[in-house]
Amino acid sequence: MTQAQLQHSDIPAGVPMHDAGERFHPFEHEGMHQLLAEFRQDVPIFYSPLIDYWVVTRRADVISVLRDHERFSAVVATQPVVPWPPELLQYLVDQGFTNESVQVACDPPRHTRIRSHVQGFLNPKKLQSFEAEVRALVQSYVAAINGKDTVDLVDAITYELPALIAFLLLGVKDIDPRRIKSWTELRVKLMHGHPTREEQMAAADDLLDFWRFSCDLVEQRKVNPGDDYPSWLLASRGGDDTRLTENEIKSLTFALLLAAHETTSNASANVLLELLRRPEDWQALVEDPSLIPNTVEEGLRYVSSVVAWRRMAKEDFELAGVSLPKGTKLLLSLASASRDEGTYENGDNFDIRRKNARSHVAFGNGIHFCMGAPIARMQIRMMIEELTSAFPNMTLIPDEEIEIAGVLTFRGPTRLPVRLNG
Amino acid sequence: MEKQKVRFEFVTFTGERQEVEGMTGDTVMQVAYDNGVEGVAAECGGSMSCGTCHVFLDEASFDRIDAPSEGEVDMLDIVASERRPTSRLSCQIKLEENFTGAKVMIPEMQY
Ligand code: HEM
Ligand code: FES
Repeated sequence: MTQAQLQHSDIPAGVPMHDAGERFHPFEHEGMHQLLAEFRQDVPIFYSPLIDYWVVTRRADVISVLRDHERFSAVVATQPVVPWPPELLQYLVDQGFTNESVQVACDPPRHTRIRSHVQGFLNPKKLQSFEAEVRALVQSYVAAINGKDTVDLVDAITYELPALIAFLLLGVKDIDPRRIKSWTELRVKLMHGHPTREEQMAAADDLLDFWRFSCDLVEQRKVNPGDDYPSWLLASRGGDDTRLTENEIKSLTFALLLAAHETTSNASANVLLELLRRPEDWQALVEDPSLIPNTVEEGLRYVSSVVAWRRMAKEDFELAGVSLPKGTKLLLSLASASRDEGTYENGDNFDIRRKNARSHVAFGNGIHFCMGAPIARMQIRMMIEELTSAFPNMTLIPDEEIEIAGVLTFRGPTRLPVRLNG
Repeated sequence: MEKQKVRFEFVTFTGERQEVEGMTGDTVMQVAYDNGVEGVAAECGGSMSCGTCHVFLDEASFDRIDAPSEGEVDMLDIVASERRPTSRLSCQIKLEENFTGAKVMIPEMQY
């Protein structure tokens, strides 16, 4: 390390960069956007001692890191923020937990090899082909609340529905989506949350159940292939370990059982909340549904469900005027980047007619760009279409507390109580 | 093989031209990104998942270079601006010497 490189202990108290590090609470979502807006002005990067990450706040810097996979590794992307105790790791190994990083948390050439197989199924054209089935599912969920007076939209729609759509891709039938949801929440907490040691140890058996469920799914497809993701991967592997191993396929299935719905549940609830907070916007969509696709983009921009994503430097580097050493961990604030005034006029305003909403970074950027974006967009659009059409007078029930579940990377309301007919 | 310089130009939707230089083996998308050429979003960094790196080539260059793969042809079905006979995904064009002098036109929008 050269002299010129900055150690966080070098940052004098009182300067904006130090101040930002003290004030930033990575697990607290209340007020986070306001704080980031302030930092974005003159603190493009700062050190957060609570998590030992450098936080990047501007869009151009976030994108430059995401695009530079040669210098910035994705291996930390899903690493537990609170390291797992060695006993937990040992127990998992003993019980046959062989999950490996195959996708979002691995680098080329491995990433390139695996992504090329996944691409055969998770590509825009194939995802588009689920359109009619997705529509039918959304309609059935909306029909189920018809006739009620008040409902919690998270509980009734946004929580389960994306899981059922994930099941379409995976060919899963006959399992309670709530079981997958609770397994997923547990995994999210273990990776991106701040669980206590007791919570970590207590999670082991559920984590194993989730893993075994994914493995069973792949084993079943070996015997009975269908038109689904694991079957596609098995065919693409063609029995050749140098192409793709069975354990990689199990890990990919395990990964998709989380990636394909957790984010979408949050993203749909986030945008619905913003719309319901602005009755004039809801009304505008009722009157002109052609505004809905751009509303989806504005929702993703304004309240991205993935608020931050992680990278680690493979060599010494300079970013936003600061020189940092190899091994530095970066927390790229997608939430901040997508509101950067350098690109978005009045970035902190929610505007369903915003011209450049679609240029947000909610789905990342570069070689790890979200492979489910087309179907995520499709389901959020359909949820808004069906809800505005069925309940033109829907309103948020006033004064109900809306809590945001607190993990490092994801954001979404835990409930959304509404009166369906105003 | 020794890398060679390849010069060609981008033409924006409004007709502004920008001469650029890349090395053989680079993709047209990379050259656009490295030169700050606007209008090539290329969200997925060349992994053929996004369709936001769409460009049109001049006919002669289109015919001279390797034809698009099946996967690329499929992706061209979903691009945002109207697809034309010389449409390509810029991330799938690897520079060879025969790309010298090509005209790469950027469509009105990428999404
Ligand atoms: C609104 C909902 C969603 C959001 C906000 C979202 C966001 C993201 C983000 C930020 C990444 C990482 C990008 C990076 O590292 O640059 C990612 C990766 C990924 N997403 Fe999504 N996602 C969503 C829905 C989905 C769905 C529905 C699926 C599957 C059907 C999916 C599958 C994937 C996969 C497979 C990757 C890994 C790609 C790779 O590492 O090469 N996502 N997503
Ligand atoms: S950069 Fe995404 S398809 Fe070319």
